[in-house]
Amino acid sequence: MAANFWTSTHYKQLLDPEDADVVHPPDRERGITVEDFKLIKMQMANYIWKLAQSVKVRQRVIATAVTYMRRVYTRKSMSEYDPRLVAPACLYLAAKAEESTVQAKALAFYIRKIYSDEKYRYEVKDILEMEMKILEALNYYLVVFHPYRSLTHLLQDAGMEEMTQFTWGLVNDTYKMDLILVHPPHLIALACIYIASVYKDKDTTSWFEELRVDMNVVKNIAVEILDFYENRTSISEERVHAALNKLAMKP
Amino acid sequence: MTEMDLSKKVADRYLKREVLGEGTYGVVYKAIDTKTGQVVAIKKIRIGKQKEGVNFTALREIKLLKEIKDPNIIELIDAFPHKGNLHLVFEFMETDLEAVIRDRNIFLSPADIKSYLQMTLKGLAVCHKKWVLHRDMKPNNLLIGPNGQLKLADFGLARIFGSPDRRFTHQVFARWYRAPELLFGTKQYGPAVDVWAAACIFAELLLRRPFLQGSSDIDQLGKIFAAFGTPTASQWPDMVYLPDYVEYQYVPAPPLRSLFPMTSDDALDLLAKMFTYDPKNRISVQQAIEHRYFSSAPLPTVPDKLPRPAPKRESVNSKTSDFNPPEGPTVLSPPRKSRRVMPEREGFEGNAYQNDKFDDHVSEVRTGPGEHTSRNEQVPMSLDFSIFGARPPNRPTINSADRTHLKRKLDLEFQHPE
Repeated sequence: MAANFWTSTHYKQLLDPEDADVVHPPDRERGITVEDFKLIKMQMANYIWKLAQSVKVRQRVIATAVTYMRRVYTRKSMSEYDPRLVAPACLYLAAKAEESTVQAKALAFYIRKIYSDEKYRYEVKDILEMEMKILEALNYYLVVFHPYRSLTHLLQDAGMEEMTQFTWGLVNDTYKMDLILVHPPHLIALACIYIASVYKDKDTTSWFEELRVDMNVVKNIAVEILDFYENRTSISEERVHAALNKLAMKP
Repeated sequence: MTEMDLSKKVADRYLKREVLGEGTYGVVYKAIDTKTGQVVAIKKIRIGKQKEGVNFTALREIKLLKEIKDPNIIELIDAFPHKGNLHLVFEFMETDLEAVIRDRNIFLSPADIKSYLQMTLKGLAVCHKKWVLHRDMKPNNLLIGPNGQLKLADFGLARIFGSPDRRFTHQVFARWYRAPELLFGTKQYGPAVDVWAAACIFAELLLRRPFLQGSSDIDQLGKIFAAFGTPTASQWPDMVYLPDYVEYQYVPAPPLRSLFPMTSDDALDLLAKMFTYDPKNRISVQQAIEHRYFSSAPLPTVPDKLPRPAPKRESVNSKTSDFNPPEGPTVLSPPRKSRRVMPEREGFEGNAYQNDKFDDHVSEVRTGPGEHTSRNEQVPMSLDFSIFGARPPNRPTINSADRTHLKRKLDLEFQHPE
């Protein structure tokens, strides 16, 4: 793990689960529900993902960008900070912070390529302005830890390297939730390993017992992830669209 | 600055005072924090419209300083946008180690030197524990506060080195402080590069002038080898595999004692360990802090008893430009600012004198540190012979073909800074 997580600002900023999904008053007045709120954040995580594929950045940059976006919305409303601009601006800032700079010009280009919708259309100037506002919203805390590194180490230790791809995919999906704001990354990694071992019928009980971690927490995270997969079938583009439209309405 | 500006508060909190200097990414000015009454230094980071947003170097500094809070690291107190520019608020520091080293009126006792080195290493240890490489250690980045506390500053080149296989640029550090593995072009390096630079600073404290003043990267390696002998394969097995490795003519190492005639055995032992060629065998910062040099007499001076330059008059420094003394180290990437006006350098006259006296002093062994005046401390020899064309004993040579090859390579790197 790069640097020590327990002394990091990431650790100090971890939230209680209840605090991660609080709809801000201006959004609530426009009829945004907790469900809408979650849905929009998920859609924006997907958007960041798509943009990142186009500009070709590392997985780590994507994960950091999504984390920034989720952190922004623990403090700012979506009516004030348009998610369709916050998402690319977070990717822009994350790329810089993770030392693999992406040109704002390139992002503006791919935005147009991905969405023909006018409401997604933002230019270089907008991204740069939003970059500054995001920095402020993040209170200038930029270092984020992710489960990927612990995942690799843990899989090695458990002798489950063949599960790498499967668990890696699970970890990627955790960014569609707010888990990274709530739990230490290595526990998220462990929850994904736990799901994988159950799913693939691999007995890991003794391995988990030897780790000195609270298995209740790990299991709870695992349940949250599984709940998410269960509910995902009911999510459609229309619902996301409807939620985003609410933001534009006058309260 | 008009009267109006003086009375106006920035971001409802800071009272602007005089400009302290002009940096690569904007102006630095002094201010009073009305919330705490504290004197602060505010770096204004210019944001070019339609360009690439918040300066990359500034962002690195923000990212790392927000993570590290320590008495020996400069504190980033606040950050705020104002009129489209990002402003970083730092604690105000009176002076820096370079000013201390250059000030002829200051006498540094062995205990003073020990104290300055100890604070430097403590700050560095905090960085390394957080897996941060500073990569720009030099006396003028070691700031000194009003109570004598030394703090590492200028994290614009610093990086987290978590991933073991990530490749870094070797164009870091001012040349005189660059470790040999960097000069040989390594892309995979670790905390040992900061230790080498700290060793250069240690030597500079002892000699009261930069120790290894190379005029080019090739010359820098020459200066290093002249001081410590050309490294052998057994000393540093990986050396020959480094990207820019070239064979240098063999020169034997002169006794280290001859370069630092008045230094204690403990200091010399630590210095040698910090100047170890093979980065794998170089002492770590933590080990250096635990070295007996710091526990043996004389104990390090308490910070607020340390000698410092006389306070500068406020108006003197109100106008500073990007100022790189021609004989100073060239920083390749990114260009650096100089925060303060530096006192007159005495280097050249000093060197000329030392060259003349070279042979007389080599064999002279001095004993008992502490009983010498600062004048005496400046007498030991220089390794910087090149400028005056004095016969350079044992000057390492490389053939001209190699030199052309390397120069071309270096030129390319100048054209495409990272």
